[in-house]
Amino acid sequence: MLEHLLPPLNDHNLPWMDTIHPIVVHFVISMALISVFFDFIGVIAGKRALFEVSWWNLLFATTAIFVAIMFGQVEAGLANPYGASRDILNIHSTIGWSLAGILSVLTAWRYVLRAKDPLSLPLAFLGADSLLAALVVAQVYLGDQLIWVYGLHTVKVVEAMRAGLV
Amino acid sequence: MQFFNVVLQSEAPLNQIAAGLGANDLPYSLPIHPNLVHLTIGLFVIAIAFDFAGALYPLEKRIFRFLALPVTRAGFHDVGWYNLLACSVISFFTVAAGFYEMLTAVPLPGVISTFGLEGFVSMLWHGVGGVLLLALIVLMTIWRGYQRFLWRKDLGRQVQWIYLFSGVLMMGLMGIHGTVGAQLAAEFGVHITADQLLAAGANLREALP
Repeated sequence: MLEHLLPPLNDHNLPWMDTIHPIVVHFVISMALISVFFDFIGVIAGKRALFEVSWWNLLFATTAIFVAIMFGQVEAGLANPYGASRDILNIHSTIGWSLAGILSVLTAWRYVLRAKDPLSLPLAFLGADSLLAALVVAQVYLGDQLIWVYGLHTVKVVEAMRAGLV
Repeated sequence: MQFFNVVLQSEAPLNQIAAGLGANDLPYSLPIHPNLVHLTIGLFVIAIAFDFAGALYPLEKRIFRFLALPVTRAGFHDVGWYNLLACSVISFFTVAAGFYEMLTAVPLPGVISTFGLEGFVSMLWHGVGGVLLLALIVLMTIWRGYQRFLWRKDLGRQVQWIYLFSGVLMMGLMGIHGTVGAQLAAEFGVHITADQLLAAGANLREALP
């Protein structure tokens, strides 16, 4: 199916120049983490104007994660994982979809909180923030292993794969 | 010449710490620089994007009203300022980690990148370019601060058009710069365990089960 929709695969085993998923996740990782960071600074330092900055970053992270998942699914489908990277990719996909749900729920909750009073934030939200940050870090750790340990979609590994070496 | 080559080989500075490095040429399993890069790029791009949203506010406010999404122009510019400030602070660590990891990098031999560059030349461009980009990010943050707190403090649009234009230019530079960085990984196998093992002739089925 894919081969009829997309251009032929290159030496990264991709229909485009290089992996796009790691670029899109810039905006999920940095916007989610900075949103949590500004929430904590806002509460601890009493700098409540930062809640607005957090909100926009959170909304953006939520939008970006769906784009990240779309590219992630296509590139995962073309990754040919081997050895333990098969399990890592499965967990990475599961957490990825879960994060999309969690980010959406958090954003909806935040929308309501902000509509009621943009200058206050219940402590419960900081708890949810902490969970979000922990999940994002765990997800980055798994994604890092796929590229930096197993080298999925790197020229050298694709070459070895096509030669039947992995 | 042969004599000098041998001397240079054994005295290559990396050999002094080689015993402490793993198959990925690092003393730890995952490189730090690429993770900090997420923050540098994400924060910079979104800072500029939200200053655009603030600058074009008169055009888009009807859309937000239609979406029942309460917005303030100052809120958009707050994102533009605080994200850029965070980007500036974090990027010093991005560059520092990058330099450490570049010093221990071993690009795969005989590879020419999509840009037509060899490994070492790519590293030189990426290293010097990284410092230049850091300088430009810091300069833009100072410029942004002057606009926010002095020059345009009482104006609705907190940024000059030339500032937004410079931001777009910077994104272009970051795009090219980041692509060289991605090539160092995906094409030159820098700090990638599997690539380095394959280059050393290992069988991945045993070395990386």
